[in-house]
Amino acid sequence: MKPILVKGSEAIALGALAAGCRCYFGYPITPQNEIPELLARELPKRGGVFLQAESELAAANMLLGAASTGVRAMTSSSSPGISLMAEAFSYMAALELPAVVVNVARGGPGLGGIEASQGDYFQATKGAGHGDYHFLVLSPASIQEAYELTARAFDLAEKYRQPVMILTDALLGQMKEPLILRKIKPRKYPKDWALTGAKGRPGRVLRSLFLGPGELRSRNELLQKKYRAMRREVRVESYLLEGAELVVSAFGSLARIVKEAVNLAREKGYPVGFLRPITLFPFPEREFRKLAEAGVRFLVVELNCGQMVEDVRLSICGSTEVRSLPFPPSDLPAPEDIYREIKRCLRSPRR
Amino acid sequence: MLKELAKFKGFSAKNLPKEEPFAPGHRACQGCGEVLALRLALKALGMNVIAVSATGCMEIISSPFPYTSWRVPWIHIAFENAAAVASGVESALKALKRKGRFPKNRRVDVVVFAGDGGTADIGLQALSGALERGHDFVYICLDNEAYMNTGVQRSSCTPYGAMTTTSPPGEKSFGQMTWKKNVPAIAAAHGIPYVATATPAFFLDLMNKVKKAALVDGPAYVHIFAPCPTGWGTKGEESIMLAKLAVETRIFPLYEVIEGKYYITRKITKPKPVEEYLKRQRRFRHLAEEQIRAIQQRVDAEYERLLKLAECL
Repeated sequence: MKPILVKGSEAIALGALAAGCRCYFGYPITPQNEIPELLARELPKRGGVFLQAESELAAANMLLGAASTGVRAMTSSSSPGISLMAEAFSYMAALELPAVVVNVARGGPGLGGIEASQGDYFQATKGAGHGDYHFLVLSPASIQEAYELTARAFDLAEKYRQPVMILTDALLGQMKEPLILRKIKPRKYPKDWALTGAKGRPGRVLRSLFLGPGELRSRNELLQKKYRAMRREVRVESYLLEGAELVVSAFGSLARIVKEAVNLAREKGYPVGFLRPITLFPFPEREFRKLAEAGVRFLVVELNCGQMVEDVRLSICGSTEVRSLPFPPSDLPAPEDIYREIKRCLRSPRR
Repeated sequence: MLKELAKFKGFSAKNLPKEEPFAPGHRACQGCGEVLALRLALKALGMNVIAVSATGCMEIISSPFPYTSWRVPWIHIAFENAAAVASGVESALKALKRKGRFPKNRRVDVVVFAGDGGTADIGLQALSGALERGHDFVYICLDNEAYMNTGVQRSSCTPYGAMTTTSPPGEKSFGQMTWKKNVPAIAAAHGIPYVATATPAFFLDLMNKVKKAALVDGPAYVHIFAPCPTGWGTKGEESIMLAKLAVETRIFPLYEVIEGKYYITRKITKPKPVEEYLKRQRRFRHLAEEQIRAIQQRVDAEYERLLKLAECL
């Protein structure tokens, strides 16, 4: 198949179309406007609906409405917009609605900037809104992966009746790479919960208000059970782990730069490996723990002030050393910056 | 007529204020009608203002760190809450005056600058709240009829038929499928003392209206029509001409609503056909006869309605 040259944001939109997404709701915000722009052209041709809302608040709640009918639907935004949507996300998690949310993240907090950032890691993985809930979070590192993970996100959302977030950033959203439009077969899951008009069947109820004794507790337990079951979906990319004494970990677009630094270090004979979580929630705890048990040390590189490093530390429970190499949003690090830190880590005695 | 306005004689070409609260050297596109309106509005208001800007073109082009075009105190906040932040600023001024920590007689105008998206879409709730509470401030909507800053997406102020990146014409669509939201009417429905429409093509009229808006006690709303060469697909040197045409075709009538009473400030007795305005812009190039006729009918009906409102004095 001949590759096409597209931006990351466009690849996400194409992935959604390939997965049979029929409804898009959104609101303009940089740097993700290519997603709504492409879908504004393409969705009406396929009998779908493109709708630009009056705010992110409205867009997220339109998504809630559409998802409750069982249709494949999505929204996309960038960091401040995602903050505004958070209330609806909490409701969607409580109602167990399948939907896909894309965050092409930019720098924060506040207005921050429009450059690439991974500062929304906590927001994405710990639940942006109120209450005990999580997204299933996927983070692509290439444009091909952005296409495929977005398509996969629709399946996962239906499989677990669960909002799924694609967490990417301005870097991946705005750069162009070849993309092979591999054919995608959307999987089918029963929709015995969807509100489709109770003709010839008993009515269905979707609700998130539980006032009866113990009701809310059992709803929360049910959600937690689901989140544990989602561990099956954990995905990582591992590279050069054999003989590694230090494993460098990063996610998303930054992982590409980190991988190059690891290659550089290996060429110079340093025993370094690479581990990239693709699912950020559920977090690949087991993969990290296994390496820690083998005595490997970790260096966690992020485009923020150090967020994922906390999950790495929790995963290994202090059994080995975990260092953080944070790059707060502004400039991207060069592979050499990371390479220098790798050398420093390996030369320093174990703590 | 309101007593605050009785003494105001109006600006004339001979007595324009010398101050330029908005400095040149900003990064607006060539021929930007919006930045011209902003400059004129600030010129009318003078240096004793606190400006509140919602996200949008004017914020981006005026404040690329470490530069700024604002020679007056200025605060920028997120997209949806310019009117809310202005409410806070105005309340603080009141409190300071009450406590004697700010001279009671010193006049400071709190003024909001927001685009059509930040006003008619995401900021409407905050605007309505502030108008209802009656804060003494001026809200200026600089309407270039789409989200230009993010790359020309439709807003609810985008005119019928216009092409934007999220209202692309094609087999299933002729561009924007809905009629422009009438925000001045919404503002007037709050029963506030002053509402007006203006365009930079009639610059004295614009300055007078902004000044009046500041002079009245309580909230005032000014809706300024601002051509955008980048988003409309027009020539930079045609912006003023287009703004003028919009008035002369009755597409954008100029009027004031003072204490609920409508006054048409520029009566158009011999209107030009809307086609003359539409055909000069790339965003309308795809329109068929049928849609142009629909636009003409709508414009005629809306103007009739406005005339009736103005007659009921």
